Order: sequence, then structure tokens, then C-alpha cells
Amino acid sequence: MTRHGAGLAVLGALALALVLLGPLFLDRFTLNVLTRSMIYAMMAITVDLLWGYTGILTFGQSAFFGAGAYATALVLTHAGGGVQNFALALVLSVVVPMALAAMVGWLSFYHKSTPLYASVISLVVPIVLTQAIFAGGSFTGSSSGLVGYPTMKLGAGNYFRLAGVALILFAGLSWVIVRSDAGRLMVAIRDNPMRAAYLGIRTQRVQILLMTALGGIAGLSGFLYANAGRIVAPEIAGFGFGTQMIVWTALGGRATIFGPAMGAIGIDWLGAQLSGALPYLWQLVIGTLFVVMILFMPRGLAGFIPRRKRAAAPPRLAVLPDDRIRKGGGDALLSVSGLRKAYGHFVVLDGIGLEVRPGELVSVVGPNGAGKTTFLRCLSDGTEAIEGRIMLAGQDIAGRPPEAVVALGIGRKFQVASVFESMTVAECLRLARVTHERPSLWRRADSIGLPQAALDILALTGLDQKLDQPVGGISHGMRQSLELAMVVAMQPRLILLDEPTAGLTKAERTLIGEVLKRLTHDQGYAAILIEHDLDFVKEISQRIVVLHQGRLVMDGPVDEVVNSDLVRSIYSGMAHE
Amino acid sequence: MALLLDIATTAALLFIVAAGLFVIFGVLKIINFAHAAWLTIGAYTTVVATEMGLSPWVSLPLAVLLGGLLGAATEAVIVRPLYRRPLDAILATWGLGVVIVQLITLGFGRDMQMPPALITGTVDVLGTPYSSYRLFLLAAAVVMGLAFVLVLERTRLGLNAQAVIMNEMLARALGINTARVRLITFMLGSAIAAVAGVLLTPLSSVDPTMGIPWLIGAFMLVMVSGTSVTALALACLCFGAAQVLVSTWVSPILGSVTVAVLCAVMLRLHPKGFARD
Repeated sequence: MTRHGAGLAVLGALALALVLLGPLFLDRFTLNVLTRSMIYAMMAITVDLLWGYTGILTFGQSAFFGAGAYATALVLTHAGGGVQNFALALVLSVVVPMALAAMVGWLSFYHKSTPLYASVISLVVPIVLTQAIFAGGSFTGSSSGLVGYPTMKLGAGNYFRLAGVALILFAGLSWVIVRSDAGRLMVAIRDNPMRAAYLGIRTQRVQILLMTALGGIAGLSGFLYANAGRIVAPEIAGFGFGTQMIVWTALGGRATIFGPAMGAIGIDWLGAQLSGALPYLWQLVIGTLFVVMILFMPRGLAGFIPRRKRAAAPPRLAVLPDDRIRKGGGDALLSVSGLRKAYGHFVVLDGIGLEVRPGELVSVVGPNGAGKTTFLRCLSDGTEAIEGRIMLAGQDIAGRPPEAVVALGIGRKFQVASVFESMTVAECLRLARVTHERPSLWRRADSIGLPQAALDILALTGLDQKLDQPVGGISHGMRQSLELAMVVAMQPRLILLDEPTAGLTKAERTLIGEVLKRLTHDQGYAAILIEHDLDFVKEISQRIVVLHQGRLVMDGPVDEVVNSDLVRSIYSGMAHE
Repeated sequence: MALLLDIATTAALLFIVAAGLFVIFGVLKIINFAHAAWLTIGAYTTVVATEMGLSPWVSLPLAVLLGGLLGAATEAVIVRPLYRRPLDAILATWGLGVVIVQLITLGFGRDMQMPPALITGTVDVLGTPYSSYRLFLLAAAVVMGLAFVLVLERTRLGLNAQAVIMNEMLARALGINTARVRLITFMLGSAIAAVAGVLLTPLSSVDPTMGIPWLIGAFMLVMVSGTSVTALALACLCFGAAQVLVSTWVSPILGSVTVAVLCAVMLRLHPKGFARD
């Protein structure tokens, strides 16, 4: 265990002692308030996991909390107390919100859905639920809520202990998960969902699963709340309460787990002390503070605590046994026929036909606006509206989102290096292997297995010496190389490269050329390369395809194409004659 | 007949309430959560005006003035630094809304206010007596819609705004002062929202939190309409009709969420909503 980990274990034990011994010296009012505050703190952590870590701004966690609390209160009101009814209430308070959350997740996350859309949906859910409670009449208690149902007879002290232990367990669990390899997935989706999808990560599925799991936690908190508070009212399912959780999280400091928990406890406790005396003023202060924080201190109060420098040693790099080395030739890996892409009346690509076999490196050249990047996008995203057919490894990619096309064996490197800004080099590389090795939920692997070609890129560029450095701080050339290494690490069968050498030095360019040659000649990868630099293209590829005004005008061996009149005229700018 | 009139006037009301939000979202691509607070402020200008013994009509120019000024201040101080963090802009404007609601509560108390209506009485429409105020709203919505189209198509500001909507970078490169377009748009949107608040007074209770129930419906309508006025009008008509029908035949409580639910489902199944391009 690291020193950091040991420190936290001590902190956890201390917190545990506090919540177990607290009832001995706290008065009843404080006990009741803090019990509630600690339940709220669990909700704040669910919001933090969704918003702070995964980038899903949700106003709707209150709906799942309310669903859990109401499921409990409804069972106990209408079926009465008794052990089996408490068990039923407990089960329903988890299952019902999870089902609701899965449905909300399905509504919110789909290919090309926007974060704004997910936020708006999260607003609608609590409002609909509240109206449903109002519409429920005497069954749900309508606007006055439910009260006087039998609850577990634990006493104020034990409810305090129960809430405290639940909070510490959940906070500890969350802390472990966000630091695990699986936790990096969440941050990857927040930082750069497109890159995540092109690494083959099914981002929407991760988001829906997370939302469902946290819906269950919210429901469980609701169960505790309904028992400890002995009353449920429609407000706890409402949008106002949902936004309050955002305030706790933002003020405490998003993406820190402890910040939001402390924010919830602090604000709720202070509010209980002050709101009696200055009811409106308190809300005013919180609101003002919130706006100021969002504007000037996005990291919240946790921003005052200096961030620890990561002391942990970077993971080792290990070489994967590469059994994928095979001969070139054989059947076409990619075959495109009759591809046409238009935006309204504007035709970008028309009548494109192309076949690429394993081991081939095909360069696509053409002037700006010829449709080269659009071509790559059509190859890697089956949901693009096109005419014609694109077959990859014998499968039609039509209708498949990027992550599914990646699963067929494509890897795409973007024109502008697309990596995960807040992560280290090693973390980026680890994510590139996520679809091959299931990431652990509770620890970080101490070694990363990469194919030899990816290791070569790292060694040649010196990136292997910078594994623990944040990506935000490395040079442009290194970012390009890192992204290339990530794509190669996925072991795709076909690599799509969009101007991989743009902005690189001569030395870096030569190096990337070497790596590409080795990948295709020796290891049987196929590659399609978009490139402006004809000398570079001549150096490394066997075949050149010329795109001009959306049409594929030439396809042939390097010398033939480079020396053709057409290419000369395009490159000397006389193509329009 | 009464049902048809209900549908038409409900759609008009939705249009009026959503208009200010629509203007801001269209150009700035930011959901202004302070919208509910602007509505409330507008309604309270009526309260203030009538308490001072003035005609409730005076509150209309008052609301335009107040809404515009507050809009300008909000844009400059809160929204401008957050253009690159759209989700944070949502949060900051929402926080501003909370602050305004609390200030109103401190100033006027929590109680419901009853300002006199702008127009009272009924008129006969083809033999059906109908609230003349609701008919006035219908006219107001039509005027507002036409004004939108005229401003967008016929004025320099409208053309500049269209340029910003389509491609802000290019607009700036062409010498359009995009910062000013944003400022004016936000002012206009806020002023329109405040006017909507005035127009709401006879129909909705006037209290510090009155804006909230209108907020979500307005959001959803704007989301399904994108940047087209026609789409917004169409969306208001369709979902307004659904709301009236559900309220009449099923339950008024469920009617109040009909718009939001239908819009959400529509966006999931057909993400472009009513917007065409």
C-alpha cells in the first residue's frame, strides 16, 4: 500500500470512529440534522461521479432518490411494517430507481447526443416524477407527502451510525474506483468522448451503466432517508433538490469525492443552523457564492488544497507476443464501392471505389477540399449518411457507430492529435488497450502490454521516458506520436492516418515513416494515409490514390502517379484548366 | 369551439414564454437558466406599477427597460467569461436565478400578489363567450412572431445575428462585431422574457418562484425548434394542443408535463426536432 493509501485508510478509520462514537456526545437535534446531511453527502458523491468525473451534468439525481424514498414509504404505508415488508421496501428502493435510471440513460445517451441534451433530460425527469406524485392522490399522499408509516426502530443514534457507515463505505468505494483503470474510462469520456469512441470504448454504454448503478445508490439513500426522517414529501424528488446537489458538488470541488461530500454536510448543517434565523438570506448567500465559484473557482473549495504531485512510479511497459504478423496480400480488407457523400446539394465525394489489402500502405493525395478527411470519416463511422457500400473485413459497416467499426479492426488517427488532456502518457496508452484487456475496477495495472510497433514509436520518440508526464505539457510532435502509438496499440487491421506528419520536424517525419513501413511491410497491417508531402509519400507507400473535387481520379503505383501530368497540374495549381 | 380557442391561446402563451429563451439559445447556443427569474421580474414590474397607482400597461415598457438592463449586466459579467464552458454557463445563470428569486422574496415577501389584469371580460367568438385577455395573447404572439421574422430578415442586426448563428468564426473574420451581437441578443432575449412575465400576470399566480414551472416547457420547446421561428411556432401549436387535450381529458397535473415529455421523446427519436436543415 502506498503512503497516500495508508494516510487515507487512517482517515477512514478516524471518520468511522467519529460516526460510531458521535451519538455519545451529540444532542438529538444535531444527530438528526447530521444523519440527513450524511445521506445528502452520498447523493453529492453520485453527482460528483456523474458530473465531476464523467462530465454528465445532471439535475435529476433527486428523481432516483425520491423514487427510492417513495418506494419505501409506499410499501410501508400500504403493506405495513414487518421484516418481510422492510426487505421488500429495501429491494424496491434499489430496483425501481435503477430501472428508472436505465430508462433515463437510454433517453440521454445515444450516438451523437449532446451533453446539453442529457442535462435537459435530467431536468425533465424530476419534474415528471413530482407531477406523478401529485397526481397519485391519496395513494402517494399528493402534495403533503406520506407520514406516519412504520419505520425501522433503530433510534436517532443508530440511524446516525448507519448513515455514517454507509457514507464512508460509499465514499471509500468511489475513491478506489475513480483511481482504478476503470475509473480512467470515466475521465476519458469526460475529456474526449470522440477519442474514447475511436478507441473502441462504448461510451454510451458506460454512461448508461454508470447512471443505472448510481441510480441504485440514490435509491438506497432514499430508503435510509425515508426510514430516518419518517416523512417523504414531493420536494425530495424535485428539480430544486436536484440542483441543490449540484451546488454542494460545485462548492465542495468537483471530481474530488471528498469535496462534494463535505460540501453537502457543511451546507446542509449550516443551513439548518442559520435558515431559521435568516431564511431567505441564507439561500441568497449560497446562490451568490455558487455563481462566484462557477465563474472564478471551477475547482470549488477543494481548490484551496494544493494538489499532490503523483508520487507513484509509472507503470512498466511490456511487449505483447505479436501473433498477428502475417503475410500481405490475400483478400481485400477494405472494399469501397460507389461511395457518394453529399451535404444537401453540395457533393463532397462521388463514385469512389477502392480496395485495400493487408500489408498495403495506400496514400491518398489531393488538393485541399478534395474530400480526403470526409473520406476517412465515412470509412470509420457507419452512421454517416452515404450512398454506396463500405465493406470492412467482409462486413458492411453501414449503421455502425465508430466504436463498432473499431471492433471490426479500424484505428483512426486524427489530423489534430486527439488525446486525453488531463491524463498522463501512460494512462492514454492504457486506455488504448481497454477493449483488449478488461480494466480493473479496483486497482491500476502496474504494467502495460503493448505490441512491439507501439513500443518502437515510444522508444524512437523518447515518449517512454515521459510515461508519468501529463499530456497537456508535451510537445506537438510528441502528441502526434502518442496518438499514433495509441492507435497502433489497439492492434487494428487497418490504420487510417490523417496527415500524421503535419507540423513535425524532418527527423520526426522520417521516424514515423520508418514505423509505418515496418507496420505494413513486415507485420501485415494495412494503412490509408492522407498526406500532402509528395516526397514523404514516395518514400513510404506502394500505391497512391488521387482525390480531386470529390472524385477518385487515379489509383496506381507510386512512380506512375507521381509522374503523371494530372498530379503535376494539381500540385502546380493548374487543375482548373 | 372553446377547445380550439384554448389550443390556439395556449400555443400563443407557450410561444410568448419561450421566445426570450429562443432568441438567446439561437444566437448564443447557451440555455439561459435565469429565464425564470426574468419572467418573475416582469410580473413584479406589474405589481410595482399598479401599487404606484399607474395603469398595468405602464409595466410593459418598464419590463422592457428593466429586462434589457439586467440582460446587459448578466451578459457582461456572468455569461461572457463562460462561452467556452457552456455547461458552466447553465449553472451560473441558474445561480443568478436563485439570487434574483431570493432578492424578490426579501423585497416583496413570499406571498402571492394580485395585480389587476391588463384586459378583463369576455367577447363572443362565433357564439362562444371567450376570455378577451387570452385572445389578446394570441394577437400578441402573432405580432411577436412576425416581428422576429422582420428583424431577422430585414435589419442589419438580424443579418449579423444570422451570420453568427451559422458560423461565428467566419462572421468575426468578416468584421462583424460578434461580441456586440451577443450582448444585444442577450438584452433582447431578457427584455422579451420580462414582457412575457408581464403578460403572464393575469393567468399565473405572481410569487417569487412563479417562473420555474414555465421554465422546463420553454426549454424543451426551444430544444426542438433549433433556430427557426417557424419551427418554434409549429412546436408550440403541436405540443400546446397536446397539453390542452391531456389537461381536459386526462388530468391537469399530467397536462403540465405533457410538453416536456413529448419534446424529450421527440428529441430522442428524431434529434433534429422541428428544425429542418
